[in-house]
Amino acid sequence: MKILYQIAIIFALCLLGEVISTLLPFPFPSAITAMLLLLIALFTGVLRIDHIKEKSDFLLSNMAFFFIPAGVKVMENFNLIIPVWWQFLLIIIISTVLVFLVTAWSVSLVIRFEERRKAK
Amino acid sequence: MKEIICSSPFFGITLSIVAYSIGIWLNRKTRLAIFNPLLISYLIIIPLLYFLNIPLEWYNEGGDIINMFLSPATAVLAITVYRQRKLLKEHILAILAGTITGSLCSIIVVYLLAHLFGLSEEMTSSLIPKSITTPMAIAVSDSIGGIQSITVLSVIVTGTLGNIIGPTLIRIFRIKNEIAQGMALGASSHAVGTSRAIELGEIQGSLSSIALVMSGIITVILSLILFS
Repeated sequence: MKILYQIAIIFALCLLGEVISTLLPFPFPSAITAMLLLLIALFTGVLRIDHIKEKSDFLLSNMAFFFIPAGVKVMENFNLIIPVWWQFLLIIIISTVLVFLVTAWSVSLVIRFEERRKAK
Repeated sequence: MKEIICSSPFFGITLSIVAYSIGIWLNRKTRLAIFNPLLISYLIIIPLLYFLNIPLEWYNEGGDIINMFLSPATAVLAITVYRQRKLLKEHILAILAGTITGSLCSIIVVYLLAHLFGLSEEMTSSLIPKSITTPMAIAVSDSIGGIQSITVLSVIVTGTLGNIIGPTLIRIFRIKNEIAQGMALGASSHAVGTSRAIELGEIQGSLSSIALVMSGIITVILSLILFS
């Protein structure tokens, strides 16, 4: 019964997220709306983690599994990928390295700045 | 007979679980990032459907049911942030700076390179959200006119790459700060990178999961502003 309640809470949040996203004047992903709603509910104390713990752990620990069907659909688009496969790979390699370094450097910079201010 | 078996929703779901279990098993056995459970699942399912001539629509009878869980799986990511609320509060400036510059860098670099290589608009939109976690990337790709499956593929390749080269980049570029290490892994290669960050240490793991959620949200907002 407990797990049923938890499924109901999470699915209700997703439903609410879909409703809100449809009402918004711009396209905003409903999954993200649901996530923000859950974040608000947790921070305001409306929901506690143990209200949804088992179901969330199930979703979080098997996260990658739920992406399988979305990726299998790539079968339909092989004709689009194959002619540009090396561009596809190159874009991924270059951007991943750059994002990694830019993030690491800006975080280090802010932390160094904060530490210097604290030391004063 | 083939249609009775393969067009039942139970077929797609069972096949997915079996393929994924094999992926998990291979990953644990070899401990190699290249044996990513998701990647293995595709290498099992796609050739199987192709060579046995099973239409994708049949597989999707079950696949669509699994797909339905993408949205709940994204929503519960809120919990990982909530659990790290102390670290979040303590380093909020560094976290915001890292995720905003990282997300902007990702979008700009992908956009410029895609144009340089003359990729189609559809293809470019599919690649824009490649650095963020799959359910969020699918959501972004949908709202800016990308192709779901190409986005998923680019997200997985990105995650696997970050997982493999992350520690090397940390060494070569002498990134000593543990907070910066975790943030960089999470922002550049989402959940797959985070799994590597957890191996580096607790601080790295926590910040990587914060980074993965925050860059997701920021990329959603930025791509909305820039592309619609």
